[in-house]
Amino acid sequence: MCDRQEQLIGFLYNELGPADTHAFRQHLDACGECRDELSDLRATRGQIAAWTPPEPDLGFHLVRGAAAAPAPPPARVFGISPAWGLAAAAILVMAIGAAIANLEVRVGSGEGLVIRTGWGRTLASGAATQSADTGVQPVDWKQQAQQLDQRLREIEQVLARDRAGSVQNAAASGMSEEDVLQRVRDVVGRSETRQQRMLAAGLAGITRDFNAQRRIDLAAIDQGFMRLQNTSGAEARQARELVQKMNRYMSTSLQTK
Amino acid sequence: MPSTDEELVARSMGGDLDSFNQLVLRWERPIYALAYRVIGREEDARDVAQETFLRAFRALKGFKGQAKFSSWLYRITLNLCRDWIRREKRTPVAQAPEGVDIIELAGETTPAESIENLVARHELGRAVGKAMSMLPEEQRTAIILKEYHGLTFQEIADLLDCPLSTVKTRLYQGLTVLRKQLREAGVESTFGK
Repeated sequence: MCDRQEQLIGFLYNELGPADTHAFRQHLDACGECRDELSDLRATRGQIAAWTPPEPDLGFHLVRGAAAAPAPPPARVFGISPAWGLAAAAILVMAIGAAIANLEVRVGSGEGLVIRTGWGRTLASGAATQSADTGVQPVDWKQQAQQLDQRLREIEQVLARDRAGSVQNAAASGMSEEDVLQRVRDVVGRSETRQQRMLAAGLAGITRDFNAQRRIDLAAIDQGFMRLQNTSGAEARQARELVQKMNRYMSTSLQTK
Repeated sequence: MPSTDEELVARSMGGDLDSFNQLVLRWERPIYALAYRVIGREEDARDVAQETFLRAFRALKGFKGQAKFSSWLYRITLNLCRDWIRREKRTPVAQAPEGVDIIELAGETTPAESIENLVARHELGRAVGKAMSMLPEEQRTAIILKEYHGLTFQEIADLLDCPLSTVKTRLYQGLTVLRKQLREAGVESTFGK
């Protein structure tokens, strides 16, 4: 065995100096063992080149902050004080209530299950649907306010006429100032009472309409769920019938065989 | 004209993250390949490569430029690989696909290489990976750094903290064992001759 491994490796990788390279070439001419060894090692190097790593999708990218020293425990980015939390919860409850108030659950052929809240519906379309279904008139706030305003103007006009008439009558009839004032107080008192009654009647109407609306919505939800249950039941019945048919067919096929 | 490693390192030291990311882009594949060949597992090699760049960035202030930036990265990678091998307490496993996907290979063919030749090359690569995984870690690392990364004997000696003669011995012994194992595996040496 020739003891020139270091020179052999240096020559193989072309890392010998010029003088050493020349000397080793001369040695190779004389040493068949080293020639064979060199040939085998060159062949092995050729084989090694075939080993390639997979081609992963690397794309490493450092971002500021990630490469720094280990970060302290994450601080609270923002906090919610109890008062804000309560306010937020109240708003959430109101929003859910408003959404549920106009909830629509529908199971239609080709549509599948449709659940729609009041946010997506306009007042006009909702009112038209509900009027047709139940005959209850929807609440028109604007109109009611106008009517109330109109009524108040009428009252004011009547009051003004009464006051003028009273003064003229008082002057003509020679009523004392106290009597006139008393009469005016009576008129104003009656007017206030009338207004309170009208306001109470208006509020009662609004409450009645609101309750009616709520009952309509609840009934619609119930109907939606009923339809859903019925549909599910029908589908289950169909599946059951299909299984029974398959069983019958299988048993018939086995008997014929 | 692209910036040199030294220029990018200098800018990175000044806090320019983009420059460091250019270095990452330049070196991520060689670093991954080194890690993969040393530990033999795709996912773990990927983790090692990622950790290498993270550590390099954190230790950038300590890089004095005595060695090349790439050598510094190689050293970090090899240390991480060594940790992985110790932690896992096992020899590397050469992962290779069980079957060769002809369709996939067809996309890699060049006009000069037939599909048969390409299939043979993949089979050979698998056999080499398996034979490499059986080498002692020192020999395997020396061969990887020399054959696939083109480092000089001196650079390998510096990286592995060993004498030049030791590097040559490891290379010679490693190549000799590889040749024997490939021959036993029935691999014909049709390449490189």
